[in-house]
Amino acid sequence: MIRPLALPLATLVFASVCATVVSIGVGSVSMTPQEVMAVFLGQGGALQETLVLELRLPRTLSAFATGGLLAVAGALMQVLLRNPLADPYVLGLSGGAAVGALLAMLAGLGGAVISGSAFAGAMLATFLVFGLAHGTGSWTPSRLLLTGVVVAAGWGAVITLMLAISPARELPGMLYWLMGDVSYARTPWPGVGLLLVVCFLVIPLGRSLNVLARGPLQAAALGISVRPLEWMIYILASLLTATAVTMAGSIGFVGLVVPHMLRLILGNDQRLILPACALAGGTLLVLADTLARVVIAPEQLPVGVITALLGVPTFLYLLYRSR
Amino acid sequence: MKWMHWFAVVMGGLLAAPVLASPVCATDDLNQRVCLESPARRIAALSPGATELAWAAGAGGQVVAVVAFSDYPPAARNVTSVGSHTRMDMERLLVLQPDLVIGWVTGNPTEQLATLREVGIPVFSIEPRSFEAVSQTIERLAVLAGTETEGVAEAERFRQGIAELRETYRNAAPVSVFYQVWDEPLMTVNGEHLIGEMVELCGGENVFSNLERLVPRISAEAVVAADPEAILAGGMGEENRHWLTRWRKFPSLTAVARNNLFFIPPSLVQRPTPRMLEGTRLFCEKLELARSRRSGEVRL
Repeated sequence: MIRPLALPLATLVFASVCATVVSIGVGSVSMTPQEVMAVFLGQGGALQETLVLELRLPRTLSAFATGGLLAVAGALMQVLLRNPLADPYVLGLSGGAAVGALLAMLAGLGGAVISGSAFAGAMLATFLVFGLAHGTGSWTPSRLLLTGVVVAAGWGAVITLMLAISPARELPGMLYWLMGDVSYARTPWPGVGLLLVVCFLVIPLGRSLNVLARGPLQAAALGISVRPLEWMIYILASLLTATAVTMAGSIGFVGLVVPHMLRLILGNDQRLILPACALAGGTLLVLADTLARVVIAPEQLPVGVITALLGVPTFLYLLYRSR
Repeated sequence: MKWMHWFAVVMGGLLAAPVLASPVCATDDLNQRVCLESPARRIAALSPGATELAWAAGAGGQVVAVVAFSDYPPAARNVTSVGSHTRMDMERLLVLQPDLVIGWVTGNPTEQLATLREVGIPVFSIEPRSFEAVSQTIERLAVLAGTETEGVAEAERFRQGIAELRETYRNAAPVSVFYQVWDEPLMTVNGEHLIGEMVELCGGENVFSNLERLVPRISAEAVVAADPEAILAGGMGEENRHWLTRWRKFPSLTAVARNNLFFIPPSLVQRPTPRMLEGTRLFCEKLELARSRRSGEVRL
């Protein structure tokens, strides 16, 4: 039992370590591996130390955490909604976060308040959909999905309205936020911590998730209390997405495609897929961000462009081959 | 003879110390007091406007980093670029080891400016919103760069030039003006914008001066309804005049009937730099031309 799980995970751990090393070693300022090593041994020059410890390391960790959180959240949403098109943002979470962040910017607040407000917005969106989907009748995933999609459309309208009426001087800040970029992450630690916690949390959940993925009736027949489990997945996925969005704005694609890619390669065992998502999502975003900062340096690309450019052909190839 | 050597060293040190170590301070447009132990020698200007202002302050030779579109003065094109003002390449910026960064309050991402402060680089954030603010910004930059003689002279030249224009057009007959910032969507400025100030200085009356937003989006109908006597437009690039041709569809507009459709090179009016003096002069000349085309009409 251990062996089939261990090999792919070991490979992914190796890949993420490689990606991290590349990301820390490569930048628009070229440094030799010796110089980078010297920094970690405490013998680097002041400039190298700033470049590695203040710029590259926090950014790499932020990218890894954001990518990992989004991929795990996407995988959870796909199980929950039993819909292959589900991604972390499908239920309007990024919209709620964006409205929170934009409101803080409109009020002239800066820095940590914007992050806090974004997080509050994301959680508000979560509970709004949670409450409305409950309704008076019976609850189904499709009802949750419809509620979420409509609420998301509502957030979209509010965002457009805010952009249209806000003073011109606030606009650039708002647009950066909406585009999403790892370079604006303040500190990687909440994201990294949450990702670690989640990886350990989903291991005992994996079995129940496997059963749930086959359908609620089957899960109930096998003695799983479906409703509490579903709400737990929903809250967990929302928390992960809210943290990721708060760190780096809404970065698309990772949450949708990484879980699918892994399922095509590894099969649909959630005990394997969820930790694998954390590793593969993190690796993808770290690599994408490294490319985004060096491809046309000194100009910097938004990381979402690179994730899509890397991910689309890979995904299409896997899908094509899987027939 | 050894003592003479020491004497020279000590005296030299005493004389040089106040010059070398004198700290310089200035308050930026975020109301932050920025102090440098000695005048900045390596300046990074993070907007095209900041680059121009640094040169105006006499500190052009000290600028070691600029951002994309920093095309004026021509010497700025030879300075290393660190990316666009919305997304800087932080590594390339840090490796140039600036001892002063001129930031743009609303143009640069606050997170990237915060990172610069965290690694110990002083950031002086600017956002001039009036003619006087342009002069004051030049003076403050000159203090930080230790180039006060040139900076104060340039700031004063600009101040004087604007004051002279203001005096010339103080009693000029009012001309109603529509200034077109952008074509699609159609955008103008309100009275608080620097360009709005320019319109008023030349004896113009901005037909949209009372709108709430600094750069409002408006409809073509609103322009037709306001029926301005003159329409002035920038454009993309310095020679692109097609923005004005759309108004010829409305021959009943006073501005069209009198051919008062004027092109103003956007770089002369849209960047808050001393070049605005030239832009304002051009602006005033166009309005004067519009006044001269009133002949044949009886005016009260």
